[in-house]
Amino acid sequence: MRIIDITRRSARNLKQAKARTLLTALAIGVGAFALTLTLAASNGAQSFVNRVISDNFDPTEIIVAKDESILGRGDTNKPKEYDESFGSAVVNSGASVQIKQLTDKDIQKIRQYPEVSQVREGVTLTLEYITRPGAKKYVANAIDFSPAQNPEVVAGAIVKPLSDKTVLLPEAYVSSLGFKNPQEAVGKSITLAVRKSIDIASILQNGIPSNTNDIQELAKSSSALEQFKIAAVLKKPTTSQPGTELYLFISNKDAKALNDIAKIGTNQYRKYTYAYARVKNGENKANIATVQARLKKDGYTSQSVEETQKFLTQIIDVLKAIVAAFGFIAVIASVFGVVNTMYISVLQRTREIGLMKALGTRRKDISRLFRFEAAWIGFLGGAIGSLAAFLLGTVLNPWITKRLDLGTQKLLIFDLKQISILIVLLVLVAIFAGLLPARKAAKLDPIEALRTE
Amino acid sequence: MIEVKHISKTYGKKDSLVTALNDVSFNIPEGSTVAIIGKSGSGKSTLMHIMSGLDHPNSGQVVIAGEVLHDLKGKAMDAFRANEMSFIFQSFFVEANQTCFQNVSLPLEISELKQRKAKVTEALAAVGLSDKINAKASELSGGQKQRLAVARAIVNKPQLIFADEPTGNLDSVTGDKIIDLLFKLNKTNKNTLIIVTHDDELAAKCQIRITLKDGKIIDFKQRKKVSK
Ligand SMILES: Nc1ncnc2c1ncn2[C@@H]1O[C@H](COP(=O)(O)OP(=O)(O)OP(=O)(O)O)[C@@H](O)[C@H]1O
Ligand SMILES: [Mg+2]
Repeated sequence: MRIIDITRRSARNLKQAKARTLLTALAIGVGAFALTLTLAASNGAQSFVNRVISDNFDPTEIIVAKDESILGRGDTNKPKEYDESFGSAVVNSGASVQIKQLTDKDIQKIRQYPEVSQVREGVTLTLEYITRPGAKKYVANAIDFSPAQNPEVVAGAIVKPLSDKTVLLPEAYVSSLGFKNPQEAVGKSITLAVRKSIDIASILQNGIPSNTNDIQELAKSSSALEQFKIAAVLKKPTTSQPGTELYLFISNKDAKALNDIAKIGTNQYRKYTYAYARVKNGENKANIATVQARLKKDGYTSQSVEETQKFLTQIIDVLKAIVAAFGFIAVIASVFGVVNTMYISVLQRTREIGLMKALGTRRKDISRLFRFEAAWIGFLGGAIGSLAAFLLGTVLNPWITKRLDLGTQKLLIFDLKQISILIVLLVLVAIFAGLLPARKAAKLDPIEALRTE
Repeated sequence: MIEVKHISKTYGKKDSLVTALNDVSFNIPEGSTVAIIGKSGSGKSTLMHIMSGLDHPNSGQVVIAGEVLHDLKGKAMDAFRANEMSFIFQSFFVEANQTCFQNVSLPLEISELKQRKAKVTEALAAVGLSDKINAKASELSGGQKQRLAVARAIVNKPQLIFADEPTGNLDSVTGDKIIDLLFKLNKTNKNTLIIVTHDDELAAKCQIRITLKDGKIIDFKQRKKVSK
C-alpha cells in the first residue's frame, strides 16, 4: 500500500472514534501545553537576561575581585587568613563580611597586563543624602557609570564617558526633589552629601585635641557637600541589576573622589570589591581567556560577561527543568493512554485487519496503519496543546508584562521552530506508544480474525 | 488449471486431534464455476482457506497455473493474493463507516493500482450500486452490502474468486440475485468462481460440484466440459 493511502485510512479510522481520539490526544496535549509554555517562558527569560547583560555590561570587560566568595565561589565556612587588603563588604543577605579587596596596588598591577587596555574600579557608595534648595533630603546611592550601560532616557542626554560633576538621575527622584517634570530637572543642580569619616582638615589645623569632649566633637564627623548638574533623567529601568533601580550615576572620577572623602582614615580607604578590566580585542573570546588565566595566576578571581550570563541563565535553567519535568511526566502518562487506545482500536477492527490481510495487505502496511494512527493522535495532541499555550500566552503576555513591569520585554516568546520540533517529538513518542498494538495487529491470523460467531 | 494434490489438514494434538481434510485431490479448469458442498464441519471452509493460501496444509500441494502456492514466501504470497484472488464472505465484511467507494477501492489500494475512480465506478455499475457510490455502507440493506462485497471482489479483475456461503445471511430472492450476479461476472470476466455452500440448488448451477464428508471427497461431479 502507498503511504498516502495508509495515512488517509488511519486518519479516517480516527474520525470514526472522535471522542476516544480527542481524549487521548488531549492527554498528550496537556504535556505539549506545559512544554510549549516552558519553552516560551525560558525564551523570554533568556532574552531578558541577554538584555540585562547587553544593557549593563561591556562584553570586552572582565569583572575582577580578590576574594573568591564575592563571585559566588570559595568556601565561606573556612576561617580566612588576614592580610592588609581585608575590608568589610555587605553581602546580599545584608550581613557585613570581611573580604579581601582590591587595592591601588592591585589595580596598578592589572593595568600593566599587556592585554588589558583599561581598568576601572567598581565604586558603589552610599551617599548621606541628596537634596536641592527647597526640597527635603533623600537617601541615595551613587555608582560609577560604565559606558557599556544603556539606560533609557526620559529627558536630557547621556554623554559617554559621563562628564565630571554631572549626574544621571532616576525618574523617581524628579518630583521628590520638587521638579515639575523631567525636562525641568535637566541642567539643574542638586547637592550630593557625603559623610566624612573623619575631619582631616581640623586635625591638621588643630592637632588631636586632648580634651575628651573635643575628641567626641571631632568624631561627630561632618558632611561634604558637592554640587552636581543633572545631565539626564532616566526612565525606571526594566533591565538593571535588581536593587540598583534607584542608583544615581556619576563619572568614575567623581565616584572615586566622593568615595575617598567617605572612606579616608578608615580601613576601607582605596579598597574596591570589584574592578572592571577592559581587554584589548575582547570580542575575541581567546583574549578574554588569556587575561582570566593571568588574573588567576596572580591570585585574583574574575568573571567574564559570558560567565555572568551563564550564572544568570542557570537559575532560569533550574526553573525550566522543573516545569519541563512536569510536562515530561504528563507526556509519559499519556503514552499509556495511547497504548490503551491503540489496543482498543486493534480489537475493534480485528475483522477489518483480517480482511485486509486476506486481500494481500503486507504485514508492515498493517503495522504502519496503526503506527500512523498513533502518529495522528500525537500530532493532534501536540497541535492542540501548543496552540492552546500559544493562544493563552498571546492573551496573557501584555498583562504579565504590565504586572511584572517589564517595559517592552515579553515574558513569553513563542518560537515556531521549537514548537514544530516539539510536535515532531510528540509524534515520535506516540508512534513509540503505538508499536506494540501495531505489532499485535500485524500478527493477527486472518482466519481467526475473519471467523464469525 | 488449479490442482489440489493430496491435501491433509489436522487441528489440535493427540487426544483432541481433528482431521479437517483427509487426502483431498481434484483439478479445476480455469474459468469454471465450482461448488463445494457438505455438512457443517465437513471441512469446506478449511479447504477454501488452504486453496487461497490463508492456511497451510499438513501435507499435499495446491498448484495454481503451474506454481506451488504454499512455496510462495511472505511478499510473493501477499502479492498473489492481492492481484490474483478475492473473497466474498457470508457476513459481508464491508466497512460500515466507510463509503461504498472507499470499500471498493481497498483492493486497488493494496495492489497500488491506478485509475481507481474508473475501476470503482465500473465495479459498482456491474453490481448495480452506481447511485450509492458516496453512500456509507451502513446505509445499505443486507443484499446491497453483499453486492458491495462482490464489487470489491471483482474490482481488480482477479482470476480466482472464493465465496464462503455468500447467500447464507440473505433471503432466497436476494440470495438468488447475488448468485446470478456472480455467474454473470464469471462469464464476462472469465474468472474461476469457487463457492462454498449448503444449497444444493445453487450447487446444481455450477459446472463442478465437490461434496465433502468428514474431510474426504465423497463426490466429484463435472457437469460439462469447460473450454480452457
Ligand atoms: N482453528 C481450528 N482449530 C481446531 N479445529 C478446527 C479449526 N478450524 C476448523 N476446525 C475443525 O475442522 C473441521 C472442519 O471445519 P470447517 O470450518 O472447514 O467446516 P465447514 O465445512 O466449513 O463447516 P460450516 O459449514 O459449519 O462452515 C471441523 O471439525 C472444525 O471443528
Ligand atoms: Mg465454513
